[in-house]
This record gives sequence, C-alpha cells and structure tokens, in this order.
Amino acid sequence: MPTSVDAAGATSRAGKYLTFYLGSEEYGLAILTVSEIIGMQPVTRVPRLPPFVRGVINLRGKVLPVTDLRRKLGMTHEAEHDGCIVVVHAHGLLMGLVVDRVSEVVTLADADITDAPAFGSGIRTELLCGIATGGGHVRLLLDIDAVLAATDVSVATSACSGGNCL
Amino acid sequence: MPPLTRDTLPDDRELLPDFLAEGSEYLCAAEVALLRLEEDPTDEEALNTVFRAFHTVKGTAAFLGLTHIVTFAHAAESLLSRVREHQHPYTRDCATLSLRAVDMLTALLVSVSDALDGDGTWLLPAGYHDALRALTECNPDAIALAPLDVSTNDVVTDNGVTDAARAELTVESTIRIRTDRLDRLIEMVGELVIAQSMIAGDATLQHGDTSALAQKVTHTAKIVRELQDLSMSMRMVPLRTTFQKLARVVRDTAMKTGKNVQLITQGDEVEIDRALADMLTDPLIHMVRNAVDHGIERPSERDATRKARIGTVRLSACSASGQVVVQLTDDGRGLNREQLITKATQRGLIAPNHMMTDSDVYGLIFAPGFSTTESITDISGRGVGMDIVRRNLETMRGSIEITTTPGASTTFTMRLPLTLAVTDGMLVRVGGERFIVPLTHIHMSVRPDAEMLSTVIGQGEAVLLRGELLPIIRLHRVFDVPDAEQNPTHGLLMIVGDGDRRSALLVDELLGQQQVVAKPLSPALGNVPGVSGGAILGDGRVGLILDVNETVNLSHLHQRRLHHAYLG
Repeated sequence: MPTSVDAAGATSRAGKYLTFYLGSEEYGLAILTVSEIIGMQPVTRVPRLPPFVRGVINLRGKVLPVTDLRRKLGMTHEAEHDGCIVVVHAHGLLMGLVVDRVSEVVTLADADITDAPAFGSGIRTELLCGIATGGGHVRLLLDIDAVLAATDVSVATSACSGGNCL
Repeated sequence: MPPLTRDTLPDDRELLPDFLAEGSEYLCAAEVALLRLEEDPTDEEALNTVFRAFHTVKGTAAFLGLTHIVTFAHAAESLLSRVREHQHPYTRDCATLSLRAVDMLTALLVSVSDALDGDGTWLLPAGYHDALRALTECNPDAIALAPLDVSTNDVVTDNGVTDAARAELTVESTIRIRTDRLDRLIEMVGELVIAQSMIAGDATLQHGDTSALAQKVTHTAKIVRELQDLSMSMRMVPLRTTFQKLARVVRDTAMKTGKNVQLITQGDEVEIDRALADMLTDPLIHMVRNAVDHGIERPSERDATRKARIGTVRLSACSASGQVVVQLTDDGRGLNREQLITKATQRGLIAPNHMMTDSDVYGLIFAPGFSTTESITDISGRGVGMDIVRRNLETMRGSIEITTTPGASTTFTMRLPLTLAVTDGMLVRVGGERFIVPLTHIHMSVRPDAEMLSTVIGQGEAVLLRGELLPIIRLHRVFDVPDAEQNPTHGLLMIVGDGDRRSALLVDELLGQQQVVAKPLSPALGNVPGVSGGAILGDGRVGLILDVNETVNLSHLHQRRLHHAYLG
C-alpha cells in the first residue's frame, strides 16, 4: 500500500486504484502495485498447499503463483465462471490474483476513504486498508501487503503438518 | 621492527580484478606443472611453466604496486632458478616447498581480492614471513603452513568465465564474458524454443493449405534447435579442471598418511556445466581423501596381501544419454560389511539384527554421524562428510552408489545431469495432472502382473521385481490427485531411487521424454515438499518437476503415520 505522508504527518491513502468485482462486491487495489491484467488460463495445481492457492501459470516464461482471492477473503461461494488474473507485486514478489472482472481505474481522495469497521460478515477485514465511498460506489480497498503476507503459505503449511493433513 | 602484517591497496584498482583472475590461472597451471615435475624432474616444459607463472605474477604485481607479492614471487622464482642452474637438486622437500609457495601466492591473491570489497587494507596471510624465509634459505620444515583448502584456489571473481587451466594458456582463442549475461542468453534461447514449438503445434497449421507455412516453421525449428545446442555448450567445461585439483589432494594426503598412491584419470575431456563442475569439487575432494586415508592400505599391509606397492585411485568420467557418469575407484581394502553393521548398531542408527541387503549396509556410510575410524584424524575421520556428499549430489540432481569387493576395491558411481539449466525428464500423467521425473533417477518402468504385487504387513504395498521387493508409492495419494489410476496392473510402475531407497512410483501413463528448462517455484509458495521446481511444457502450461527423494520420504512418512494410526 503506497503511503504518502502529508503536511500534517498523517499517512494518506489517496491515489489511483484499480477496481474489480468479486461477486457483487467492488474492491480496489493501489494501482502502483498492479503489474498487469491477464486473461484466465489453465492453472497447474501445486499439491499440498492451502486451498486458497490455485497453483501456478506460465507468465512469459516465468512461473507465477496464483491465489484465489475469494477463498483468501473467506467468501463461501465460488464464482460461477472464472474471470481474469490481476498480477501484483510487492517486496520483490510477483503474485497473480483471480478476480471475477476488472472495472476501472479511479482516483480517490482521502475524504472519500474511511476505516473499515469490523463487519462480522465473514470477510477478513484485517486485509482491508479502508472503505471508499463516492460517486455512489462502495469500494473495499485491499491492503496488498496484508494480502501477500496472509498468503504466506509456509505459515499455513507448518500449521497443517502436525495434524492429519496428508 | 616487528614484521608487517598488513598493507594497503594502491589507489588505482581498475586493473586488479583482471590481475587476480589471470594470476589465479597461472598459479593453477603452475601447480599442475609442479606435480608433473615431481614425477619427472627433467621435464623442462613443466619447469618453464612454473617459471612463467612466478615471473608474470611478479611483473604485474610490481606494476600494480603490490610489493609483498613481488617479494614472495621473486623468492619462489629464485629457488627454481637455483634448481634450473643445477645448484640445487629437485628433492621431495623442494617440491613440497614449491607447492607451498604456490599456496601462499594464491592466498595472497585471495587477500587482495577480499580487500577490494573492503576498505583497501589487506592482511598478509598467516605464515607469510616464515614462508618467505624458508624459500630464501630453502628449508621446507620452517613453513608451518596449515594445508590450504584446495577449493579456495579459485580466486576468479564472479565476473569472469575461465577456460580450462591447461599448462599452455592459449589466451588468443578465448574471451572473458560475464556469467550473468551468458545465463540470460541461455534463458532466452530456452524461451525461444518454447515459443517456436507453440507455433509449430498451433492448430492453424494442421488445417487447410499451409504446406508453405509449415515448411518455413520447420526451417525455423532447425535453426532454433542448433542455437539451443550452441548455447548449452557455452556453459560446458571439461572435467579436467576439477580432476586436476585432485592430484594435489592425493599427493598431500598420501604424504601425510605415509602411503604410496597414484591418481589415474580417464575421460577428463568429458564436459559438464560449469556450475556442476564447481559443486562436484568438494564432494570429490572428500571422497578422494577418504580413499587414500581409509581405503588404500599402508605399504606393509599391501605387501603382505600381495598387492602392488603403489595404491591406485582411479577417477573416470563418461557421458551417456544425457548424463555424466563419474566413477571413483580405489584398489584398497574395500568395505567390511560386518564392521559397518557393528558401527551402525553402536551408534544407534539401526536396530540390532535388522535384516539388511548389501547395498543397504554400504548405504550406511551416508548416514549422518557415521565413521568407521577409531581416531578422528584431521583429514577425514569426523563422520560429517559422506552425508553432506550425498546431499550435495542431490542438490545437483544427481545420485551416488557404492559397490565394493572386500579386500580388493571400492567404487563410488555418481550420475549427474549434463546441466542444471536443462532437465531431461520423463513426462508422466497422474489423473489429470502432469509431472516431470528427472531421467537421472529413473531405472525403468513396468506394467506389473497381479502376481507381482503383494502387501507387506505394517509397511504397505510392494512389487516383486527381479527378486527385489520394492515399496509402491501411489503418487495420486501423495499429491491428492482425483481420478487417477488406482490399479497398478492398469497403470505403470516407475522404478526410481538408489540403494535402500529404491521404490516404485505408480503413474497412469508415460507421455514421453522431454527436455525442459527448470524454473524455481516462486518464493511466495515456500518449499513445496515433493516438488523441486516447475517447467514450461510444449503447450505453454506449467509442469511440476518431481523431487524423487522428497517424494519417497513423504510417502514413507505417510505410511508410517497410517501404521501408527492402526496401532493406536
């Protein structure tokens, strides 16, 4: 999440965001973290990984891991058909996120953004860095660092190895 | 005034990296020549090679203002010129002194190289002044130099690609290039191969009147294939460089243990990827030391058993179907099965009276903490070596096997891929998924008859093949693949692994051999057990490369847990 510090010293969340849909909900990702958007392609499953990791695909000769954002956010319903893949990067890591459909690039001001309350609807609100309201849209802004950290599979797999995960 | 122990680098450092790389090449050649000179003190050419090395290093060092190197090289040169003028006989002590001089000069170069990365102060290696005095007085006992690790002889900085260290340096036919550029070139050629095969496989070419287009595509394919062969060959170096380092190890170890040993090499023109050659050096050094220290008997013992007085360590390499096979044989006392079992039982590595085949027993050598010597010599008795050797070989995607004739010989056979950049694998299908199994690990594949299958109580399924009972590993279970073939008689059993870890992997179908460029899986995924990487297949999709050893271990873990689960 690119943060800029304004004159008062507070971190600003204003900037350009790529918005996309998961089901009927609209989300946003800071545009600077988005590398590219590619169409859906057959994903090679990688065994023994948490279910939110779909697998890997070939991105111009590089092996790119692909995460299912719906599962990552704890959504219970699967998408009816796959949409596309948003390739993001942070901390030198490249990752693909499966989303239903991409919407547009919008510029959001600090005034439009408020903190995310604890919904209790099953969505993992710690992955959000704010909620944007404006122009009649409610957009849930994702904190890319939190999303990538939460997809740290080594933590998930070590939690798994003690039990009957074989 | 106490002797100086440090110096400062000159201000102009631009020429230093080249000097270090070139100097190290000359010193490598000098070492080889000195060993030849020891065999034949009349070898004029060897003597001249050594001279050329000391003289060139001295001259360039003087030009660059590295006075301590100049002084030392001059002393070494003077000793040899006394030999050349026949003022001094070339005795064994003289030879040792000269070799130690080469070691010291190499250490000096390493010092300078380290200083380049630091603040410009470079430390004189320990023993410098004693060595210098010994050279001028020609008194080898005065040099109390700890034997240098041979692997530090290579002071070439990461930016240089060296050609083989031959005695005659043919500088005009080589060129230095950066290895990172070379790697990138090879990577791009790999992508070109895939892109080209995707064009060739495109559906449009199968329909209609496309014969003209198909011809052009075939023509391009030929060019791309040749380009790929060429780019692969650029990373290859002959094993000669690696083998040459071992001659010194044999000599030093033999001297230290009071034995007579000669090293014979064969097939040192066989080429292998430069990275693999580097990784092979340390394991080979350890095994050669072992062979001389533990394998070859003392001269008195050899006389008593009517063996040739001079023990032989033979190192051979040959290349066969995409693999390089390196064999290390010594004609020493061989491995003693009983002694190995006793030691392993003592160390708690195996249960007493555990039934073991010969290859299981010999495989004990690779267990961590295993060593059959009573006293731990500073050469090779520590017992940490062979398991690291095996692990290093596995990192190189290779394998190692031992055979022995007690009282007569021990042979280590190592199988290595030609290069890590490209993996020769067998594409297999398990359910709807595809895996690549590296060819170096596959022995054979077979469709079993029902009579060959059996269940071993508490250990799972097994197949009887050529008198050997092998555990069956169901890949579909290890990797959770739905819709896979469950009945081995309708699928295929792929026999993989070495020694006591031979197993049969159950797959649905063999899809054919394929050469792939192995790519690491993203660090974001962490370490995926059983998978060593990914590769782009001909249809553009990613195929997972199987890590055979990990997969076997995973399955044993799983079976052991099931076993405990049943027992409660």
